[in-house]
Amino acid sequence: MSRDRSGYSALLASFAFAVAAFALSGPASAQQDPGVRGGPPGAGGSLPNLITCGVNPGCGQAFFTAAQVFFTSVFSVTGGIDDGAALGVTNGGPGLGPRFNLNQCAGCHAQPAAGGTSPRVNPQVAIATLHGANNVVPPFITKNGPVREARFVLNPDGTPDGQVHELYVISGRSDAPGCDIEQENFPAAIAANNVIYRIPTPTFGLGLVEGISDLNLVTAFNSNQALKSQLGVSGHFNINPDDGTITRFGWKAQEKSLLMFSGQAYLVEMGVTNELFPNKRDNETTPSCQFNVLPEDMTIFGTQDPVSPPTGSTASDFSTGIVNFSTFMRLSAPPTPVTSASAVRGSVVFNNIGCQACHVTQQQTAVNGLAFLNSSSNCPPTPAGSSASCEVTLNPYSDFAVHNMGYGLADRVTQGVANGQEFRTAPLWGIGQRIFFLHDGRTTDLVQAILDHASPQSEANAVINNYDLLPPQSKQDLLDFLRSL
Amino acid sequence: MRKLLYLAACLCLAGAVAWRSSAATMPLANPDDGTVEDGVFKSEYFNLSYPLPPGWIAGLAGPGPSTSGYYVLGSFVPAGELTGTILIAAQDIFFAAKPIDDVMAMTDEFGRTAAKVGGMKIDRPPSAVRIAGRRFGRVDFSGVGLFRSTWTTKIRCHFVSFNLTAGSRALLATLALSLNRLGPADDEETARVDPVCVGGYADAEHLLRKVDPAAVVPAFVPIPVRIVVGGDGSVEHVHVIRATSGQRDSIERALGQWKLKPDEIDGRRTEIETGLVIKFTPTGAVHYLPGNRTAPEAESE
Repeated sequence: MSRDRSGYSALLASFAFAVAAFALSGPASAQQDPGVRGGPPGAGGSLPNLITCGVNPGCGQAFFTAAQVFFTSVFSVTGGIDDGAALGVTNGGPGLGPRFNLNQCAGCHAQPAAGGTSPRVNPQVAIATLHGANNVVPPFITKNGPVREARFVLNPDGTPDGQVHELYVISGRSDAPGCDIEQENFPAAIAANNVIYRIPTPTFGLGLVEGISDLNLVTAFNSNQALKSQLGVSGHFNINPDDGTITRFGWKAQEKSLLMFSGQAYLVEMGVTNELFPNKRDNETTPSCQFNVLPEDMTIFGTQDPVSPPTGSTASDFSTGIVNFSTFMRLSAPPTPVTSASAVRGSVVFNNIGCQACHVTQQQTAVNGLAFLNSSSNCPPTPAGSSASCEVTLNPYSDFAVHNMGYGLADRVTQGVANGQEFRTAPLWGIGQRIFFLHDGRTTDLVQAILDHASPQSEANAVINNYDLLPPQSKQDLLDFLRSL
Repeated sequence: MRKLLYLAACLCLAGAVAWRSSAATMPLANPDDGTVEDGVFKSEYFNLSYPLPPGWIAGLAGPGPSTSGYYVLGSFVPAGELTGTILIAAQDIFFAAKPIDDVMAMTDEFGRTAAKVGGMKIDRPPSAVRIAGRRFGRVDFSGVGLFRSTWTTKIRCHFVSFNLTAGSRALLATLALSLNRLGPADDEETARVDPVCVGGYADAEHLLRKVDPAAVVPAFVPIPVRIVVGGDGSVEHVHVIRATSGQRDSIERALGQWKLKPDEIDGRRTEIETGLVIKFTPTGAVHYLPGNRTAPEAESE
């Protein structure tokens, strides 16, 4: 009987490979981030049951659709360059610069769909030299790294700064003749340890978040005090210094409303003046870089639809850019989770170890209903007998309070009453399809993001200890649950 | 000779005045002043000492006190592999979101909350236990492979909790037994007399003299303040629990000048401890909110 030498050799080779692989491998990973959830985007569409308008029943949906188009449009200095055409989106018009981080809202807010967070490929690299601009890409901006804005911690005189310092200038662009301002000196700021970073926050479902009453936020926050007290968790709300109401948007919950957020971002991230922020940030020092009448985004005064062809939403066509942006966010639906057996087990782990102390699963909008939803047409409720249910329940996995996250995550910037170590509980809905985590996008690994919650003075230390004590399968179930959101 | 006697009397009097002034201004301990030395957690304010289990050390430091008067007093872990944790926390009853001031009511509240968490099993329902001469409320619970026990006692206007977590029932039992070694902060022959807790005492009925602090931004933020009032009604100690440094200075300067009606128990004037919340408005006004009212102290013995 003869041996099948080829088969024997193959078997020997396979065995040798297996031995080598085993010898060279480190300890088997107990748990792993499954990675960005594949499949279609779980977000990006509108809320169901948007308001209808009598003879124009589709008005809510039409406004959302038109506002979404505006959100994806691309801006230039004078409006004469149409960079949107190459991307299949519209020309947003004038206003870019003199300083900017990008020329398109949806360029930063892109993953997994327009309105989301940082995409995998950073558009801030290519735009540095677009149309002849003279910029140098800062070291903290890389092609496969997160979209970032930079803030300086201190002013040159040592007083607190905390403001956004835009990455780029329009100097050298073909639509900015004669403009000759210089970029910020980021290498010097980095060398002085004076710069921190923020990545875009996702905007899905924010209309519902805006609609949570302060009372309901406080009620939800207080409802788990007993649980928090066992875990070292406290926290507090950030507040509007003008009226004492709770603020809730942004990494430190520093922004009061979607309109304010839109106006501020329009100016700071792209340079476009608007009715909330009508002056350029470089207005007095760089007259050679001012090309447009101000504000560049303004209410239409005429009676004829200014958009040609009209979008199908008169409200959108006559509204300013910031109203369109805020409407897009307000009418957007929250991310849709998926489910699996492991994710169900993981949700039990999530609640048991204490993640829910801050990442509160459920919130409710105000009892008076939301003006942009059709279901609110009977709100406020009529006296006894009304069956209208005006409150909307949402699952953002956040208490929208700020918490001390310790030295490890501190960025040394105070905003409102949130100090340099405090951050808003990041809403976890949609996290399954996010790429970069934490306020500066420092990691793409969910395991690392969890572990980074622990550091001296962090409120999360006890919960992370509980995570560390879990058996490996429970940790994996937790990760699978998070990636299902 | 007469001149010498006169000089000695003056020196004695000067010394007495200096001692009294120094005693009045000597800072009193605060709830978050605890330390760990030679494996023992000690708190002067709570008059508490807790020898850590053998081989256990301080873990990562917890956050500072919160606007609701919640403190992480200490967090402890084994020196080597993480097999369990001990978290000691305190909640100032004057500022808690829910005005509970009874240990068993607090323990029952926690038990109810824990029972609602999916997958959480209550292994030992809330019960009153006595350990190291103190009355505690205890509840044990477990889930997802973690075994936990929360012990709550009432000390000087605070609920102090020992929160034990272990990866095994055996270790949890060991940690629970370690609480038998709780003791006073110092070995004293005479019992220490702490101020009496009286919630809401700094109100219009009791305030004889009030000096408003200068308003300091940020406005609208609730600032919890604890004060100790001496037998003569003077404010002996001002503890601004959480505020900016500017707000803290302003409040300490002002409240240190307050005078209140002395409290009396059985005809004797006594020190009291009370709490209030201060808010500054954008216009510079100062709003005072009383802290939670408390029932008479009855838990320590």
